[in-house]
Amino acid sequence: MFKNNPTLRYISHRAAWYFLTFLVAVTINFFLPRLGTANPVDIIMGKVGTGLDTEAAKDKEESYLKEFGLVEVNDQGELLRDEAGKPVKTSNIKQFGRYLVMCFQGDLGTSFLNYPKKVTEIIKDALPWTLALQIPTIIFGWIVGNLLGALAAYRRGVFDRIFFPVALAISSIPFFAFGMLLVYVFAINLGWFPAMGGYAGDLIPSFSLTFFKSAAYFYVLPFLSIFLILAGGQAIGMRSMGIYELGTDYIKCAKWFGIKENKVLMYLFRNAMLPQLTGLALSLGSMIGGALITEMIFSYPGLGMAILTAVQGNDYPLIQGCTLLVTVSVLIANFTVDILIGFLDPRVRAGNQMGGK
Amino acid sequence: MSTFEVENLSLHYLTRFGQKIPAVSDVSFTMKQGEILGIAGESGCGKSTLVNGLMGLFIPPLYPTSGDVRVSGESLMNRSPADIRQNILGRKVSMIPQGAFNALNPTRRVKDIAADMISSHEQGGNKKEINERLRSRFDLFGMDTEKILNSFPIQLTAGERQRSVIGIATLLNPQMVIADEPTSALDVTTQKSVIRMIFDLLDKKVFSTMIFITHELPLLRHVADNIAIMYAGEFVEKGTAEQIVFDPRHPYTKALMGAMLSAEEGQRQKKPTAIEGAPPSLANLPHGCRFAARCPMVRPECKQNKQEIRIVGGRQVRCDYAV
Amino acid sequence: MKLLMNLLKSPSFLLGAGLFFLTILFAVVGPLVYHIDLNTTAGSYLPPDSQFRLGTDNLGRDVIAMLISGLRSSLYVGFLAGTIATVVGTFLGVYAGFKGGWIDDIINLVTNLFLVIPTFVVLILISSSLKDGRSLTLIGLIIGMTTWTWSARAVRAQSASLKSRDHIALARINGAGTFTILVKHILPYIASYVFMVFILQVASGILSEASISMIGLGPYETVSLGTILNDAMRNEALGDGVWWAFMPATAIITMIVFALYVINTSMEGVFNPRLRK
Repeated sequence: MFKNNPTLRYISHRAAWYFLTFLVAVTINFFLPRLGTANPVDIIMGKVGTGLDTEAAKDKEESYLKEFGLVEVNDQGELLRDEAGKPVKTSNIKQFGRYLVMCFQGDLGTSFLNYPKKVTEIIKDALPWTLALQIPTIIFGWIVGNLLGALAAYRRGVFDRIFFPVALAISSIPFFAFGMLLVYVFAINLGWFPAMGGYAGDLIPSFSLTFFKSAAYFYVLPFLSIFLILAGGQAIGMRSMGIYELGTDYIKCAKWFGIKENKVLMYLFRNAMLPQLTGLALSLGSMIGGALITEMIFSYPGLGMAILTAVQGNDYPLIQGCTLLVTVSVLIANFTVDILIGFLDPRVRAGNQMGGK
Repeated sequence: MSTFEVENLSLHYLTRFGQKIPAVSDVSFTMKQGEILGIAGESGCGKSTLVNGLMGLFIPPLYPTSGDVRVSGESLMNRSPADIRQNILGRKVSMIPQGAFNALNPTRRVKDIAADMISSHEQGGNKKEINERLRSRFDLFGMDTEKILNSFPIQLTAGERQRSVIGIATLLNPQMVIADEPTSALDVTTQKSVIRMIFDLLDKKVFSTMIFITHELPLLRHVADNIAIMYAGEFVEKGTAEQIVFDPRHPYTKALMGAMLSAEEGQRQKKPTAIEGAPPSLANLPHGCRFAARCPMVRPECKQNKQEIRIVGGRQVRCDYAV
Repeated sequence: MKLLMNLLKSPSFLLGAGLFFLTILFAVVGPLVYHIDLNTTAGSYLPPDSQFRLGTDNLGRDVIAMLISGLRSSLYVGFLAGTIATVVGTFLGVYAGFKGGWIDDIINLVTNLFLVIPTFVVLILISSSLKDGRSLTLIGLIIGMTTWTWSARAVRAQSASLKSRDHIALARINGAGTFTILVKHILPYIASYVFMVFILQVASGILSEASISMIGLGPYETVSLGTILNDAMRNEALGDGVWWAFMPATAIITMIVFALYVINTSMEGVFNPRLRK
């Protein structure tokens, strides 16, 4: 089957590669935070252990150690101890093994800050907001930006001369800076939009019209602050690609053959689109990172805020859970774009493997 | 009636500062059905500009100064770009560009590009009819039709690509085909097959006349019926291929032939000599003969008097003192 | 050099270089001209007046003094990170592109792996584990070591396309070793490209530092533009309309990054004439 379908071959090749990347990412995600000497249980004890006498404190500490899988236990669930009576610490490798098993069971641990809430629970609440904000922004930003860029490349003239510097200026503004600017101008000064949050403070998330209207109202500024910069960046890139393609022999030749202008434009757009898609795949990581920071600026109740509060409170399981999820999302997004390229680039379909990297 | 007539055609470029640069000056020739005219000259002599003019492609900053170009009696002057695109380009006058291997959209199959050609000029026609038409046309080319039509350009060899471009350019049976260095970047065997294809198509009346542009004069001897030599935007000599190659009269043509290495009989023993100097800048053309600065037979009068076309030895020569 | 003359003629280059120069001036000359005192505190979040031209921050410190200090730190981190990223990336990229074969494949694999994994995430993970030891230099180092992948990929493509050139073959025939060829025959050709890469890496380094500091994982006890923003966020300056707490810092970051991007675009226009028309 595979031999006869180059597209399938291409997709499975990419899938294998992404799986490998995923394994590396999970490993990194686990081991990096353990680079330092910070012991999470100490941090928890610092919060929880005040006012307890030594005996009670020790019991509590040991129960946490047990719960977070940092020490060895026997079959009855009792702590194993060494000669000095201290609990035996689990090796990092063993912890990693346990972590992997937990991950595949869908358990990302328990949050420190919001103990005993599970990390997955917190993420489940935050994820929809992030997805609702980022997916439309990235998709529309890409489409609109590329269309404008292609137009600028083809028309040139006055439109281009105004458009190019404006787009360049906007696309160079860091996401957070633009977010802050929009908040300051439109929320604080003009009061047209709310400065923070995902929905009005007195509402509870539900599937009601009131809620959706409120959420939409709070959606505008965060959406714009990401969308405009993204579209600007794509427009600049597409404009360069368009100008380059316009100078190619095959476009000149198509014009000499008397081929209709619409068709020539289609040639141009379809050919310039492919490297733009590849560029999209490359910048997805930083786009999503920037969008997360925007969420933080707006205190938007998505993964961005989850990460922010987790970092500020040294909530390791939550930090790790969020970063793992973000990484997996980026991988999935990249893979999707790769598949898209596989279908759109006719040379891949013909077995030339020119799409992707 | 001649198939293709050019009458005192002059073209100029308009610079940003309003300066008129005469790129083509006073070119005239007529061509009959079945004729191949070769145009030869150094780089920068105005060949490409002339080509644009011959197709009616007067796109700023290129403008026609004066003169006329007629295909089967129909003038190409003073027409809108849309008109030219729809009715002339590809249909009556078609061009085979230089470096044809990049001339085709790399992400489109040959048959689709060819179909685009048809649909851009004609109405109607369903897919089946178009495919049949493409197949029967490409069958004439002596290549693996199915493979060629269904391939992407990158999957074809240079020769196959070149011939596909010729095929698409002549698809609508144009009266005039302008071939700009069609064999320059090809190896000798492929060159031969391309030239054979051209003769074949001409024979089968797929197109009526051809202008073959190259800087290789010896090649023109085998391909062209008549040859015109171009220098600094003007035709300096025009005659039959035999006349130009074996009996050049204009000092420039003589110098060109002297600078060529040729394996022809009678040419082999000659030592090639370079022509000193460089063509004049089109922005700064001299008063008199444009070749005066480099002419080995130059006289003081040459630099004063503008040279007109005379008939010398049965062909046109732009030199007052040629014999 | 003719290239330099062309650059100086380009208005966009002058704009970018000018802006950047201004910023550097502010950072370098600032402390000499302006009295930086980060210890004296006046009232918290005082609005701009004749004494404190841009007001005070949450701890009552002079905002202008904070900006100058922060700018110096951010520039330092940006340049350090940019240099490390460019050097490592160029070395790996040139080597991989030139050698080809399995060396290329392995370096490619590693590069692509780290390209896809978002650097922001890696930065968070590393920084959050180094609770107390985060100095400017360390942060610069970390950013540099996580962002080299971009330059590696960019340079590799250039190197790979160069290796089939004739002068390389000639050098090889003359018995030149890999290192010699890389340094004498490839690097000079890609020098302008590497410089452009460097500029972008510095911009990226400054942005990364700002991002990471903004969420509280920045340098410990040192002021940087990012930490200024972090203070503003934590003290709800954004919502309270205390614009001098975050606008100036944001404006400076934006200006530097914008200036660097403009410099890069103008250089691209000069080095790649096809885009110029």
